[in-house]
Amino acid sequence: MESGPGVIAACYGAGALLSLLLARWSGRLALVVSHLAAAAGAAAGLALSLGLLLGEPGRTLIRPLPNFFPFAKLSLLIDGLSAYFLLVVSVVAVAAAIYGPAYLRAHSPDAGSTRQAAQGFALNVFLGCMAFLCCAGDALTFLFCWEGMTLASYVLVVSDDRDGENARAGLLYMVMAHGGTALLLVAFLALTERAGAFDFAALRAAAAGLDGPTRTTLFFLALGGFATKAGVVPLHVWLPRAHPAAPSHVSALMSGVMLKVAIYGLLRFTFDLLAPVAGPLPFSWGWTVLFVGTTSAVLGVLYALQQHDLKRLLAFHSVENIGIILIGVGLAMILWRQSTGGALATVALTAALLHTVNHAAFKGLLFLGAGSVLSRTHLRNIEELGGLARRMPWTAGLFLLGAVAISALPPLNGFVSEWLTFQALLGGATRFHGPAGLVIVFSAAMLALTGGLAAACFAKAFGVTFLGRPRTSQAEHATEAPPSMIAGMLWLGALCVALGVAPGYAMRLLDAPTAALLHGPGASAVVTARGPLVLSTALTPSGTNGTAISMTMVAALLIALSAIALLLRRGVRRAPQRVAPTWTCGMTPTARFDYTATAFAKPLRLVFAALYHPRREVTRETAGTPYVVGRIHYAGEIVDLAETHIYHRVEREISALSQLIRARSTGRIYGYIGFVLAALFVALLLLGVAY
Amino acid sequence: MTRYVAVLLQTLVAVALAPGLVGFIRWLKARLQGRRGAAPWQPYFELRKLFGKEAVVSHTASWIFTATPFVLFGTSVLVASVVPLIVAPAGRFLIGDLFATVYLLLLGTFFLALAGLDTGSPFGGMGASREMTVVALTEPTVALSIVALALNAGSTSFSEIVSRTLVQPSAALGPGHLLAFAALFIVTLAETGRLPVDNPSTHLELTMIHEAMILEYSGPYLGLIEWGAALKLLVFLALAANLFMPWGIALSLSPAAVAIGLLSFVAKLGALSVAIAVLETRVAKLRLFRVPELLSVSFVLALLAVMSTFLVR
Repeated sequence: MESGPGVIAACYGAGALLSLLLARWSGRLALVVSHLAAAAGAAAGLALSLGLLLGEPGRTLIRPLPNFFPFAKLSLLIDGLSAYFLLVVSVVAVAAAIYGPAYLRAHSPDAGSTRQAAQGFALNVFLGCMAFLCCAGDALTFLFCWEGMTLASYVLVVSDDRDGENARAGLLYMVMAHGGTALLLVAFLALTERAGAFDFAALRAAAAGLDGPTRTTLFFLALGGFATKAGVVPLHVWLPRAHPAAPSHVSALMSGVMLKVAIYGLLRFTFDLLAPVAGPLPFSWGWTVLFVGTTSAVLGVLYALQQHDLKRLLAFHSVENIGIILIGVGLAMILWRQSTGGALATVALTAALLHTVNHAAFKGLLFLGAGSVLSRTHLRNIEELGGLARRMPWTAGLFLLGAVAISALPPLNGFVSEWLTFQALLGGATRFHGPAGLVIVFSAAMLALTGGLAAACFAKAFGVTFLGRPRTSQAEHATEAPPSMIAGMLWLGALCVALGVAPGYAMRLLDAPTAALLHGPGASAVVTARGPLVLSTALTPSGTNGTAISMTMVAALLIALSAIALLLRRGVRRAPQRVAPTWTCGMTPTARFDYTATAFAKPLRLVFAALYHPRREVTRETAGTPYVVGRIHYAGEIVDLAETHIYHRVEREISALSQLIRARSTGRIYGYIGFVLAALFVALLLLGVAY
Repeated sequence: MTRYVAVLLQTLVAVALAPGLVGFIRWLKARLQGRRGAAPWQPYFELRKLFGKEAVVSHTASWIFTATPFVLFGTSVLVASVVPLIVAPAGRFLIGDLFATVYLLLLGTFFLALAGLDTGSPFGGMGASREMTVVALTEPTVALSIVALALNAGSTSFSEIVSRTLVQPSAALGPGHLLAFAALFIVTLAETGRLPVDNPSTHLELTMIHEAMILEYSGPYLGLIEWGAALKLLVFLALAANLFMPWGIALSLSPAAVAIGLLSFVAKLGALSVAIAVLETRVAKLRLFRVPELLSVSFVLALLAVMSTFLVR
């Protein structure tokens, strides 16, 4: 276990270098070898994190790094929280590495070896940076990995360039990511400046001496930085553009894992580094996080509902799920160290952390499924797909599994973490009376709305893509994805089932992170007090009465009852079955009769019209008389409120400002020299005043 | 052990009773509207006929279409086995959680919506889209009603809610419970496809919700779906009856207590059926885009229920 970090670094490093070297001979070989190395690195990460999480409690692995800089000691520090997030990274990375080579070959068969080398290199750097970011023991390593993660994922986003769209998405991603990083830099440097060192222990000591307002300012700076990376509304605008642009297995990593790394940063910075020595966290922190979490959850799913690009739809669902995670995190912040909080903060944090791994599993699975559809049909617009369930049975079945899981339907894993989040909210509502309680209850109602809307959205996404008739010839002639791609999806699908049916065993993995962060009882002591197959929570402080649910039993009974119904149907009388065309009022059924995604989402588009500002243009071409319509053209569009109300406004202001400056720029060189001199003069003057 | 046998038996009673409940409401409606109407046991004959008939499956349909009836029936029976019907649920029964029940029902609805899209029929898609819209919009109300009940009981488990209401009859008649009951009743109408949200006896495809989704089903598949839907109605009425008015429910397994439990259960179902029949005779179906207004009324009722619970404590 001591050598674990070294092995991980060696695997990812070798993968990155070999990708560059081998590409001289063969781009395909470079791709395969780099993905194999990534799989090995992910497996090593899995082994290391499982060893730490299931080993002796409270164990922390500390490894000094070579001294690159004379002014700072670099180190790795892997405690329960780090190990848990390393696990999340590695789990999805295994699937992505298995899936990747076949996908890239099928998706862009004409890719040059330079692009393949870059993709293999960037993937390994991306994974390595995420793994070591979770294990960083000092601010410098953390920020280096943070930046490496951003740059490598940028390369991957623009690597798939067919049109200018990806490049624009990449640019927006770069700008937003660096805005966030700037906020993080300020927060971290303010601490390191006080500490005089970069390692986390020194930062923790420095933070202990902070006064209230400074502490809260630093928290909000960090929250801004991490929320940008996590894609929290209204900082999410880059996410639905950048995530779909990347190759699908990288989209799975970005949505499933990279956002979670931001959650890791938030947890580490808030609970570990910045928290006051004693007493609860300041009032404003938890409530803000709860509020932005609820907003993100509802708005994320609402915007997802109106997307017809399969990968974009999934990207918006990441905004939703990050919101659900933040509801748990916010609640944990509110309840932590409260005199009446009891074990409830642990329940809330457990819900958030469990949803972290759950979302990684099902969102990874869904992106890989979308990728296999994309690689076979080269279509992302679900309106052009349809009927794929018969043509791609494995992909369809696994995508359905992911869809059921993300819609929080039992007996899969999404339900478990949403159930826990709901129980935590309910517990919070019993603690707080009056307005505070009402806010929590409202958050619970919004969580339920999110679940219902997600189910509606995935009924649409799965139904329109995989069911009905194919609407284009690409969809009609689609074939099943190659076995290695299915293997990658199967791994994540199995995880969704396992985490759903026997979540009690996953609680053991949560013991170390919850105990490390909250210094209280571990997750399994609180949530699986009645045995590993039963989840139970006690909402009242006395803990006497609570609720319990056994997902294993739900799944077993559900399968048994459906089987009994099947036997009844078979047994009573073997009634004959006939195949016939769908009834369409006497006309010959064609693909034009299938309900489209736009039509499916229309009722909700009208109900939430205030949020969408939907626009529609219908033009009719008539043949002579207005009663005979030759052709109807329909165009519809919705807007993202954050985009129009915040970003476009800022954009307009900046353009107006540059127009102002432009009026002063004459194009003559001495004019500009004059400006530079004037600026220097003013700067010197200000400096003189300051000193 | 006897507890499990009791649960099994009461589930069978519910499964057997469900078509009769639908028939009773139909008969009562006919009477109220001045028609003679079919006898209350007519749905049993219909089911027998359907299970003997040939099934017609669309060319376009995939395995989802044939699997959905079983998933729907399975979830309905599972839910019927965990909600309090005749015998009060025991604390150790491990699925008796209100939140889980709601999501199990949603699982069945989700599959039904997929089956509606599966055949490529425009009506199926229309029904699926509308059903998912209505269901999604009822979810917040359901959650708030659960919270209102759970704040009193300190738990979302059925056994705690029922036993707490039995111990404190005053809470059951308090504003929190009454408002939550009203909210949940509106949700019941919406989720089980009753007027004014959906017309169960309509045959005009453009106004249907539930019926439009299952338009392509026939034979035994249709039988299973009809039975499952009837069971869902029974479950919702049982929830409304026994969570808010649990009196009469059998606390022990003695024959007398079970007999009283059975009688009171049938009486409560009868009373709620009369309410639905009268309501369906009195109100017209709402336009689809007026339904969200009705659902927001139920949301506000549930929110008021929670607020009054906060105030009373």
